[in-house]
Amino acid sequence: MAGCGANVTLDPVTIPAPLIDPMPLSVAIRIPAEFEHYVHEDEVLGREKWRIDLGRSNAALFSQLFEFMFDDVTILGPDDDASTLPIDALVEPSIDAFEFSVPSQSKTESYAVWIRYRLKIYDSAGDMYANWPLSAYGKSEQFGLTGDEPLKRAAILAMRDAAALMIMNLDKSTAISALKDRPAATLASGRSAGAASEPAPGEQAAREQKSQLPKRREVTLPPPGPAAGPAVLSMEPNENDTRDSVPEGSTDD
Amino acid sequence: MTEATFSSGRILTAGLLALALGGCITSRVEDAREGITGIEAGESIVILAKSYHLGNETEDKYISCIEDALSRGSKGLRVIPHKQFVDSLFPWFEPRTAPAETKGLPKLMQRPGVAERIAEQNVRYIIWLDGDTDRVAGGGSLSCAAGPGGGGCFGFAWWQNDADYNAAVWDLNGLESAGSVTADVSGTSFLPALVVPIPLIARARAAACKGLADQLRTFIVDDPEV
Repeated sequence: MAGCGANVTLDPVTIPAPLIDPMPLSVAIRIPAEFEHYVHEDEVLGREKWRIDLGRSNAALFSQLFEFMFDDVTILGPDDDASTLPIDALVEPSIDAFEFSVPSQSKTESYAVWIRYRLKIYDSAGDMYANWPLSAYGKSEQFGLTGDEPLKRAAILAMRDAAALMIMNLDKSTAISALKDRPAATLASGRSAGAASEPAPGEQAAREQKSQLPKRREVTLPPPGPAAGPAVLSMEPNENDTRDSVPEGSTDD
Repeated sequence: MTEATFSSGRILTAGLLALALGGCITSRVEDAREGITGIEAGESIVILAKSYHLGNETEDKYISCIEDALSRGSKGLRVIPHKQFVDSLFPWFEPRTAPAETKGLPKLMQRPGVAERIAEQNVRYIIWLDGDTDRVAGGGSLSCAAGPGGGGCFGFAWWQNDADYNAAVWDLNGLESAGSVTADVSGTSFLPALVVPIPLIARARAAACKGLADQLRTFIVDDPEV
């Protein structure tokens, strides 16, 4: 019952085919194990115990969404090696935080769910290229006898909200489309040129994260050219830009 | 007459009284027209709730009620179910992405497939609902008790619900606002109990639904003389 908390398990989510033109990129998406089996447990007001198992719903959502958003998509498991794949980018989603509210907390008739995702984008050399946190929100009014179904609905709406946000802002916030057929070495040289004068606060963190990156793909590197680095740096500036030269934690919304 | 029969009769009488009597309802429905309206055969409308990202709390039941009321009868309008419409245009009518003003319509129509999908469904008007029904006051006391010999209630309770809704009508022919219709309904319900409670319910939301739907139909179909 709603007053005693509940165990909520989500079924895999489906989204309608979006009205968009897919980006001409070859992308791999790596689903981490904790992302595929995310479980949130909470105690509301010290009384109601809630256990929300998102199960495969997130993996299903991201797989479908990326199939719609990119021309070519490869889904990878947590231990799959991306280094041998001819891809432009590797995307690794994760969940930073999951929160919810029930009517006994909010003093409304609504259930609400907030999910804070993070998308890490690596270039074809395995270097982190962008790190984008995004917050999604879903709300459902009370219906039925228990809180299970409204909370499920709120979670599904939050995932759908995340999908809408990614469709709208993924490229604006990460400039992922600039990775199309982009030689890895030129990216590195451009990045060092841009960061030479004043290292951004997030740079150190990004470097540290590189030690945890997936295995790098070995590529033959062409000589650095003048158009290499600035391809990223000359992208239209965006206040929500969270590429890895920007401190982590800046949010899109 | 046995005690059981007497009790059944009493409950039946109370039920009939409750049906015959209702709470008090005051209602005001108004429209503000900004352009000439009208709808051709085959054209359809869609009813959507304004985004909850903007704090709107219009109930799903209210949207369904307006959809039913507008599509019912011999003069019923062709109503596209809101979920079908939103799915068919994913993700451009999601709570985060839906246009908040008619100014956003031209850009929206230029997105790939949007104008075609709207044309396929022959949608002429989008009606955005905003508002909700709230309990604004209440009082009294009622207590009930039950024992081996039977049970009963004694006391008096009352409560007041306000249903305030606004419907903004967007005409997709000119990509402009056609005007709006508002319904403000206040309903006070009573629950006197002398052994058997007799609920006198004022259905404010239902009254707001009927009032708004009737006015919307007139607003859309009728073409006022200028």
